[in-house]
Amino acid sequence: MARVGAGEVAQLAVLFERHHRGLFRYFVSMNRNRDLADDLVQDVFFRMLRYRGSYDPAQSFTAWMYQIARNAGVDQARKRMNDVVDIEEFAERRAELMSPAPGPEETAVRGQDLVLLRRAMDQLPAEKREILVLSRFQAMKYEDIAEVLGCEVGTVKVRVYRAMRALEQIYFTLEKEKAS
Amino acid sequence: MTCDEAKILLPEYWSQGLGEAEEIAFEVHLADCEACRTEASRLGSLWKGLALVPAEEPGPQLRGRFYNALSAYRQGLESAARPRWKDKVAAWWPKQPAWQMAASFALLAAGIGIGYGMRGEKPREEVHQLREEVASMRQLVALSLLQQQSASDRLRGVSWAYRAEPSDTEVLSALVSAVKNDSNVNVRLQAVDALHAFAASPMTRQAVVQALPHEKAPIVQVALIDLLVDFKDRDAAGELRKLAATESVDGGVRERAQWAVERLQ
Repeated sequence: MARVGAGEVAQLAVLFERHHRGLFRYFVSMNRNRDLADDLVQDVFFRMLRYRGSYDPAQSFTAWMYQIARNAGVDQARKRMNDVVDIEEFAERRAELMSPAPGPEETAVRGQDLVLLRRAMDQLPAEKREILVLSRFQAMKYEDIAEVLGCEVGTVKVRVYRAMRALEQIYFTLEKEKAS
Repeated sequence: MTCDEAKILLPEYWSQGLGEAEEIAFEVHLADCEACRTEASRLGSLWKGLALVPAEEPGPQLRGRFYNALSAYRQGLESAARPRWKDKVAAWWPKQPAWQMAASFALLAAGIGIGYGMRGEKPREEVHQLREEVASMRQLVALSLLQQQSASDRLRGVSWAYRAEPSDTEVLSALVSAVKNDSNVNVRLQAVDALHAFAASPMTRQAVVQALPHEKAPIVQVALIDLLVDFKDRDAAGELRKLAATESVDGGVRERAQWAVERLQ
């Protein structure tokens, strides 16, 4: 990123190859919409170009990038506030993202149903889902998450624990529904 | 350690992120507290399950859109950096009408002269610069993709390598490395095809000859032999003879090697 900041714009391609998958997963986890995730990933890289002057090499690059990603997501959500999403379109999107039956790789592991687990993640409130996506899916350090969310490291730990508790409750509810 | 203190350490414990002293204190607490032990086991199992939830993968169009937009952005930056010709001319343009007319005639005469001088069709500096930029972008994409873990990405990298300049030694080195070391047969095969464009480089010929005895897939061996014939590389005849005489090599490959030896004589 330091080289991009120094004007070597083409180096952004290296960052893209390294991080676009992680960002895509973050946005899909947060919005459950692949097309929107595509647009947002693109937006993040161009915000990085636009604000490259604000990057401090002493700062964690991952934290800086996810701060930009969060802002891009928030801006997009504001724009969409006025958009009325057709209920059929919404159902279609969810159907696209959730396979109706578990595939061979998604069979229960250690007694868990991964499809149920993914559905439980989808049902978590956004802020709890986000902290699990950052800490578990993106394997970010707590210090970096604290920087992204603008809070103390201790608060991140407490929030991760609470999010896990909430996830567990939703997971068991879904499991009971499935069994009945 | 209290139960509340232990609970917030759970995710770090699962991720093995606790310091030694903290981990010991945590485990001592778990050993004494059944409630925390049960919770740690229950939530820990979910935590492990989360790592197994399949990741959503972006479609190929995301990469294409990004590189197109980056290229457009760079061109925009370049043109914005250049001073506008109107401003330059305005600074030099005389204010008096008589001098303006004289300058107009002088410019007309100069224009006619330059027109005659440029009949040799020299490439314009801007076009040259643009070509260099495009070549550098292609090189970057090809090199990045050739280093990816996924074989389909590396295949895409080879496709981009087709568009590189024949003088691009970095892309050539990456292709040679793919021919020699890539674990995927399809990537090796496509990389051999891409080397056609680099026929002029002695490095290419040398690399193909070196790769031949190490290659085990018959389809890639045949592609390498054909490449040497296309290169009309007579120095490769010795290596091809050896291959034709090696009994452990596939019969079809040996026949092709023998045919190549005859073509190169």
